[in-house]
Amino acid sequence: MRPVNMLKQKVGTGGLSDDILDRAQKLLEENTSDFKPLAIVYLASLMNGINMAKGASESDDAEEVIANMLYPAMQLKANGGMFQYSLMTIIADKLIQFLEVIKDPDIEAVEIVLAFHTTMEAVIYGEIKHDGGKQGKELLHALTDACMRYFAKHPETYIN
Amino acid sequence: MAYDFSDVSVLIVEDNQPMVDLLKSLLEAYGITDVHSAKDGDAGFELFKKELPDLILSDWMMKPVDGISFTRRVRNDVSSPNKFVPVILMTGFSEKRRVMQARDAGVTEFLVKPFNARDLYRRIVQIIERPRQFVRSEDFFGPDRRRKRESSYTGPKRREEDDSNDSRAAKQTADKLK
Repeated sequence: MRPVNMLKQKVGTGGLSDDILDRAQKLLEENTSDFKPLAIVYLASLMNGINMAKGASESDDAEEVIANMLYPAMQLKANGGMFQYSLMTIIADKLIQFLEVIKDPDIEAVEIVLAFHTTMEAVIYGEIKHDGGKQGKELLHALTDACMRYFAKHPETYIN
Repeated sequence: MAYDFSDVSVLIVEDNQPMVDLLKSLLEAYGITDVHSAKDGDAGFELFKKELPDLILSDWMMKPVDGISFTRRVRNDVSSPNKFVPVILMTGFSEKRRVMQARDAGVTEFLVKPFNARDLYRRIVQIIERPRQFVRSEDFFGPDRRRKRESSYTGPKRREEDDSNDSRAAKQTADKLK
């Protein structure tokens, strides 16, 4: 089926100039919306997921337990970079990568998620915007190391 | 000549108000000023029926009705006023299985957050200049999920156009060889 291309009929041809796209990008980069209140909500939701994972029993659905931490992490990744907190996006993305591959949210895995939470909280309350410079790199390095140590210790626990 | 978006309307379905404001600013910079917004898929579907937008930008994670369920409703609900409307799904997920999940719901384009002004523009251009065909199978109605034809596929054909396209391609090849 080929539906009628209404949009093409309405907009015509030619695209938008680089000037317009540059202006749009500038708007994006200079927006003054405060991400902090939203981030605090997502961080609270992540902490809720962490607490649920800590109290989970073997009969609980591991995928659901992970999802309770994964979804707020995804929101932090998605929105941080839209509001100048690109370090938040990078850290949350690392957390998502970790949560997407673990099969069993055991206590050691949950401790790592907690370390991510603590770091992201520090980013928000410290208002560390953009990539965070040297401090940002160090924070990220420490979290990556924690994940690597976990995988080295528990090679059986992640999905290839 | 440049695109003229003055007659185009857009529906934003997003529960995060700062993000809605940001999207409105971006669209306005492109020249799109007829923009409506709803906080979740349920409210979005009602507004979709009322405003008949030319394009929908929807977030994935919303409560109570998320962007995937909303898209399925747009494509399949008997009360949907335009089952062909382009839907751009915005999300922080970028893993392949998530993209596949969105495609299977009938999403037209997938936009990973965070994005920049050119990323969103490129998705809109894609929809304008390279619109997807729509397909209907037993369990799916929506934009064709295949970006390009898999010539190595040898399984059963499920759609009439598979055969007609293959026949056309075969005829073109035969013509060239003559």
